[in-house]
Amino acid sequence: MEGEHGTSDVKFLIGRNAGKSAVIAAFIATHVATMAGLWFDGARLPKFDFNNLNGYLVLGLSYGFANPAINFVVGGVIHYTSGIIWGVIFALIFHPALGRFVKPLRALTPVNNFIKGVIWGAVLWIISSAFWMPLLIGPLFQPINVGVGPFLTSFGPYGIQALFTNLFWHTIYGVNLGLLFSPTPAGGPRGTWRSSSGVGVR
Amino acid sequence: MEMRAPLVAAGIFLLGLVLLAVGALIEPPRPQISQSGESLIALGLTFIVVGVGFFLAWANPTA
Repeated sequence: MEGEHGTSDVKFLIGRNAGKSAVIAAFIATHVATMAGLWFDGARLPKFDFNNLNGYLVLGLSYGFANPAINFVVGGVIHYTSGIIWGVIFALIFHPALGRFVKPLRALTPVNNFIKGVIWGAVLWIISSAFWMPLLIGPLFQPINVGVGPFLTSFGPYGIQALFTNLFWHTIYGVNLGLLFSPTPAGGPRGTWRSSSGVGVR
Repeated sequence: MEMRAPLVAAGIFLLGLVLLAVGALIEPPRPQISQSGESLIALGLTFIVVGVGFFLAWANPTA
């Protein structure tokens, strides 16, 4: 399972280099979170259907309502692409940078990688709740009287639970990303910090 | 730090269970919704996911 690059001293849980590992891990994380979001209703939470929300954004509400299958698929492609790109940004930029600036997270261990993933999930939750939902989805849904409050403090009939449910969604993404994108030293002493030097990043 | 981390994760997991239980108890039957109940369910599930994820990372054989 572990991919070890020929000249690298870092191994990955999936794939042979950071880029490949990031894409695969981000795809899985996005899919798990997206499916969970569609099932939230079963746990008495607001349903988070980012596929359709992205579809409405690019196709428009009237076209999306008239063609729900096309809206879901087109929005899904955009949503999954976004999820993968955010995952690659995490793996190639945020992950090594956090290791350089936060001393306890320097060592390339599965636990540190996991903590970084959770932090990245929280970052995306803030971006989603502060900007994406209120600035893009709010005005889009205004004609059908579905309001989005500042920092997602309301969403249609829901209040603050929308914000916490969004946190849950992004935590699922971050947890899976942090568990699956897990570079560890291929050999040598444990806890050696290498990721910030770009070793293993192709 | 090494020894304390699993205990902190266990605490996060237990906190999640408590929040989830309280949220489920105060959540009224459908179609009514409770802002506090659903908020606690969401936060509880979030803590549970983080707690479980930590132990999966901690138990990873590549460590």
